[in-house]
Amino acid sequence: MNAPIIWILIPFLMGILIFLFLPERHSPLAGGTFATILAIVALVFPIDVALLLGSISLKISSSIQFFGRSFVLNTADGPLLAVIYGLAALWFFGTHASGTANRFVSIGLMIVSLLTASIAVEPFLFAAVLIEIAAMLTIPLLVPPYQKPGKGVVRFLIYQTLAMPFILFSGWMLAGVEASPGDLGATTQAGAMLGMGFAFLFGVFPLYNWIPMLMEESSPYVTGFLLWALPTFTAIFALGFLDQYTWIRNTPQLISTIQLAGVMMVASGGFFAAVQRHIGRIMGYTAIAEVGLVIIAMSLPSSELVSITFMLLIPRGLELAVWALALSILKRRVYSLRFSELQGIARSHPLAAAALILAHLSMTGFPLLAGFPSRIALWQELAGQSLLISFWAFLGLLGLLIAAIRTLAVFVMAKEQVPWQINEDWPQVIMLGIGIIGLFVLGMFPQILHPFIRNLPALFEHLGQ
Amino acid sequence: MLILISCFLLFASALALVLLRIFQPNARYTWLLAVGGAILALVSVYGWLALTPFDLALPAWQPRTLFINPILFRADDISWPFALSISALTLAVLLTAVARPAFTNSLTWAGTLALGGLGILAVTADNPLTLLMIWGALDMTELIAQLRSVDGPAANEKVVTSFSSRAFGIGLLLWASIISIAQGNIFDFQSIASGSGLYLVAAAGLRLGVLPLHLPYSSESTLRRGFGTALRLISAASSLVLLAHVPAESLISSITPFLFILAVGASLYGGWMWLRAPDELTGRPYWIIGIASLAVLSALSGNSTGVVAWGCALILVGGALFLASVQQTWLNRAMLIGAWSMSSLPFSLTASAWVGRLGFFTVFVVVAQALLTAGFIRNALRPTGRDSLDAQQNWMRTVYPAGIFMLIFFQVLLGLAGWNGSSQIGAWLLAVIVSLLTFGVIWATPRFRILNPVRAHWLTPADSGLNTIYQGFWTIYRIFGNIGQTVTDVLEGEGGIMWTLLFIVLFVSLLTQGSR
Repeated sequence: MNAPIIWILIPFLMGILIFLFLPERHSPLAGGTFATILAIVALVFPIDVALLLGSISLKISSSIQFFGRSFVLNTADGPLLAVIYGLAALWFFGTHASGTANRFVSIGLMIVSLLTASIAVEPFLFAAVLIEIAAMLTIPLLVPPYQKPGKGVVRFLIYQTLAMPFILFSGWMLAGVEASPGDLGATTQAGAMLGMGFAFLFGVFPLYNWIPMLMEESSPYVTGFLLWALPTFTAIFALGFLDQYTWIRNTPQLISTIQLAGVMMVASGGFFAAVQRHIGRIMGYTAIAEVGLVIIAMSLPSSELVSITFMLLIPRGLELAVWALALSILKRRVYSLRFSELQGIARSHPLAAAALILAHLSMTGFPLLAGFPSRIALWQELAGQSLLISFWAFLGLLGLLIAAIRTLAVFVMAKEQVPWQINEDWPQVIMLGIGIIGLFVLGMFPQILHPFIRNLPALFEHLGQ
Repeated sequence: MLILISCFLLFASALALVLLRIFQPNARYTWLLAVGGAILALVSVYGWLALTPFDLALPAWQPRTLFINPILFRADDISWPFALSISALTLAVLLTAVARPAFTNSLTWAGTLALGGLGILAVTADNPLTLLMIWGALDMTELIAQLRSVDGPAANEKVVTSFSSRAFGIGLLLWASIISIAQGNIFDFQSIASGSGLYLVAAAGLRLGVLPLHLPYSSESTLRRGFGTALRLISAASSLVLLAHVPAESLISSITPFLFILAVGASLYGGWMWLRAPDELTGRPYWIIGIASLAVLSALSGNSTGVVAWGCALILVGGALFLASVQQTWLNRAMLIGAWSMSSLPFSLTASAWVGRLGFFTVFVVVAQALLTAGFIRNALRPTGRDSLDAQQNWMRTVYPAGIFMLIFFQVLLGLAGWNGSSQIGAWLLAVIVSLLTFGVIWATPRFRILNPVRAHWLTPADSGLNTIYQGFWTIYRIFGNIGQTVTDVLEGEGGIMWTLLFIVLFVSLLTQGSR
């Protein structure tokens, strides 16, 4: 057996099969179960290690050649794959409850497999191409059939496409920088190119304006999935750059720029979230702010850089899934997701409203919830580096908290004598319940993530050593 | 381990009540079970005395390199009086429940027990991380309980507003932690950095409604006497305990006098409104603000035992008054022992309240304390508006006063023995002045119209003059909202991509210039 075949090729083919042959009602269960199996396999069977089952010896080899490129998944990738496919399973299982169409599962599987390929491909610069293909695959999900794409979709595609040449070009320049490290001009140009590429990929301020637009015009569940998947893999890709090119980490100006970009995302995301009146857009800005935190974490001159980054990324998947699911449920009941349409909805849909608020509070770093431990870890490292950056990041999170409180106020402001009623159906109750429990469990016992995070620094040769 | 046992008794009893409610809805021993759990918890908390100080550390979060502070609880001179008061209040709520109209609501008892457990965890929290977690749990519990009990948009909005003030208090505590870490400290209550102390006071003050003055506790709720009292008082105590951990040296700053002024203002406002409240439940938010302000003033004057004393007074004296729903002359008179507990006279519960440095503010503090004590006496002796025990069964007539008497007993006990602030002479001269002023206010109340209680429907805290200040904040918020909308319109409009690219070019040029 071969790891890239198991976690890249087979899920891609499975996505195609589900797309072509499975009826709509079965696809969430099939896709979710399949992703769960892949997660369990990644957890149980270490890659590149021979396992003896009686007289049978099993070994999952780590690499494969494809069109002259290598795809390599090492032993250290195991926990990461388990997390990726575990979270993907959560998204797929929630599809039915969210009321999203069946091709979400099939195309979602293909997207996850392509993004997995992006962390496996060598030379790793080609990840930019795979991320671009994955971004293109999301278009059929974002644009309903026979409809004109909205402005948000077009911008999303433009920005993601612009990212690819910048990164590929910077890769070519970086080789020159490595050859002559004293050439300041080449270094600056390469750094600027690379920065632009990642600015487009991450959606650094103000390149993120497609996110709130997309949240307003497309399915919240699909957009939520996109907001989970793309930044997660982009962050892993960026960590690869930081790991490979030592001079990036050792150039204080570049690190300051990365920090500044992250802080601007957190602060501006928090500010815009606090003044929104559309809960979809609020989710978009909150996701932006959290990517900002991830970027700040990646800029830390600390040996714990990788651990903190993944501690931010993993709960983020759960938070966004719960939030997007709750948003989808509410969207089916109201004309739009503006505050004026949602007044008092907590009385008729208490679980969806509660899940949405808890996911939001979790992303602000409210105690007891999944986002809290990662933020404590971040403050622990960041406060020692710069109080000013900590202050602006803190202010951004305060903006998110204001947005959460405003949303809560709108949700509970029901007219008099309106009784509390659970109108969510059983699948929705189960999925939201699992999500809410997950938020609390990760918030109170973050050590359960430790087995996954412990070996992740080994993925990066120089970072965190 | 003892901390865990006490909390386990409360949580296990609560869980048992919930399970009984589900599987045996007609079970007749639910109240006995609840009271049994509460009694055992109270006894176990009293038993802490034999071993204090001691710690309880939960398994540390991983990786240890990132989470330096474990979840840690500590029983000591600060936490024990609070924990004893909370467990006594929990038991008192259950004992006095027999005289309430909805006697058979086992879910409310379960809620009270769980709240008691959370309260004990909050007051024993030995570092900010632990306190943040327990505050989070308490705030969510209170939010859910309140939202379930109120009706109408205005009341719901008020619940969310009160939640928001406490959430921002959490934020301030977190910011104090960040500052402490930035100064190279491992943030626990034993090594608070000099710049963090004021933020801690502000965090507690914000949660209590003192700094700045606001009403974090809604009075328009069906959660009135039993569960409502536990919720209000335990929540307040969980914030007060933070003040007791702030070392005096971390409060020396140029801002301290301003905090003094704000706290004095809040104490006078709370005392005045409490004195003029039409009944004790309507006036309860003012009681909390008034006592909390005095605790804040104690903390600012560098007197942590004073904070503990006011915290215990808040729970025990206030608890006895708010739980007393039945008219009994001798019980009303017994409650007057609460006035003694409030007086700061030697060997009283609050004898250690004013051993710190109050300076110029002493006069105002004396007035505020006198107003609160006079208001307490007036409410304790009010004959109207209470039920009678005559129609109740014999055992109820015994159990109900036992609940109130127990709280009075613990007021006296804590004044005499058991912790660092007990058996003290304290600032006796100040206490005598407070007592004389209290009697003066009581004498003057029926004689001067301005001191008379206002009618309930005249008491409109949410629409009072304070609101004009907060309207100002809304105006600023709207201005920011308009700015945000303008930026959004530009970036998301037809020329958005061009504006974005222009911004990026400018940004890169600036950075390139900077690097050169």
